[in-house]
Amino acid sequence: MISFENVHLRYDTGISLRDLNFFIDKDEFVYLFGPTGAGKSSILKMIYMDLFPNDGQVEIFNIGSSKVKRKEIAHIRQRIGMVFQDFKLLMDRDIYSNIALPLELRGLKPNEIRSKVVRKADEFGLRSRLNHFPHELSSGEQQMVSLARAVIDSPDILLVDEPTAHLDQESAAGVTDAIWKVHDSGTCVVFATNKVELPKREPARTISLVSGEIIIDREL
Amino acid sequence: MKLGYIINEGVAGIRRSKMPFMNSVFSVTIALVLVGVGVLFVDNGLKYIGDLQADYDLEIFMQNDASSEEIQELATIISEYPGVIRMDYLSKQDAADLYSAEFGENLLTLLGENPLPSSLRVTFEENYRSSVYIQAFLQSMKQFETIDDVLFQKDLFNRIQVIMQTIYTIAAAAIFLVILVTVFLTANNLRLMILARYEFIEAIRLLGASDFMIKAPFFLEGGILGFLGGTFAVLIIVGLEQALAAFNVINLPVRILDYPEVILGTLLFGISLSALGVLKAVRRMLRFVA
Repeated sequence: MISFENVHLRYDTGISLRDLNFFIDKDEFVYLFGPTGAGKSSILKMIYMDLFPNDGQVEIFNIGSSKVKRKEIAHIRQRIGMVFQDFKLLMDRDIYSNIALPLELRGLKPNEIRSKVVRKADEFGLRSRLNHFPHELSSGEQQMVSLARAVIDSPDILLVDEPTAHLDQESAAGVTDAIWKVHDSGTCVVFATNKVELPKREPARTISLVSGEIIIDREL
Repeated sequence: MKLGYIINEGVAGIRRSKMPFMNSVFSVTIALVLVGVGVLFVDNGLKYIGDLQADYDLEIFMQNDASSEEIQELATIISEYPGVIRMDYLSKQDAADLYSAEFGENLLTLLGENPLPSSLRVTFEENYRSSVYIQAFLQSMKQFETIDDVLFQKDLFNRIQVIMQTIYTIAAAAIFLVILVTVFLTANNLRLMILARYEFIEAIRLLGASDFMIKAPFFLEGGILGFLGGTFAVLIIVGLEQALAAFNVINLPVRILDYPEVILGTLLFGISLSALGVLKAVRRMLRFVA
């Protein structure tokens, strides 16, 4: 599903990632673990094809980064859910509209959208918040909205980039549990984090990075 | 249903960013009013000068002994000459009557005979009113012996031509400059409007929206913006025309309401300026968004 072969990525400021080789299968849960600047976000960006390797090949759903067309990137992203540490919610829309956005983009009928959004809001404990605006919610709730939006269209892959970075312990646990639930329903999850306790508390395959190199790829 | 999304998002976009939208409508309105007033100014100026020039028709005076058949034959030839839009015949009697009306004296009583010749007054179509063309016409008239003289104020005619040419050139350059400046200002305003929507564009791009799905609602929004700007501009120009007439400043011979094609052109220009401006701004932003 996700394949990195001899991937090198150079930034203008110097080499960022060196000789990355790994494969992530569907149904897997993988931690990308490492300190800030290790290259976790760059790997996620290469998965959703915002960044392209200078050498080597990244393959997502059997589409290679060297030959991918702009149109295909949109299709790939429709099968990938993303959660960011800054939530990336639209502040001028209520929670319903934020969660419904991917479905509107796919052209679903309004009644289909409503039933899916309500079901997902129930699942993530957001039902009473649907008419609120993001700024009226706590950080933990905003991240839940971001997660609900990411998985509303049942993606094959869920990418999460430090989702608990700005959250208190309780909210962080809630978000992590919700991500695991998404995985349990059959979605491949790639979870970038610098918190060592997460892989310890909820063990899964962990790819550890230091200065752009994989130092450990530990299967569970 | 994706069309539904495009329409909903295009309209909702206006609602969500009322102020930047209204700023842009204002900017397009001002741009189009400037262009419209410029065009009206030139059109009215040219019409005025054109009317002046039209007053200087050719007068062809016949020999005193020209028979009515000869005059009739000449009149037929002249009326079929390319570019002649009108020809009036003034008989010897008509000329004497005009003289009497103007000077209050009867020529027959005064001189015992009518010395005034009969004449043909010839008017050319606007496109044929050039000095060169009329000279060619005069040349071809020389072959007719029944013609005694032709009255044509060439110097005045040429001077008016030069004035018209100058006005054309200056006005065209000024309007081009105004269009250039307004297009630049409007494009800049639209770019700011789109810049304020960076987060939205970034979010839907990450959610897998294709370029078309990102651009289409903005294109629609730009079209609505341009239509509103164009409509306001036409209303303002009509208001200006009415005000000038109402306060007896000037009664313009050329008015925008008399030219539906100018109204349509203003609206189309507004719509294309805004829709394409927005599209360009979005395309530029997409280069920087994930």
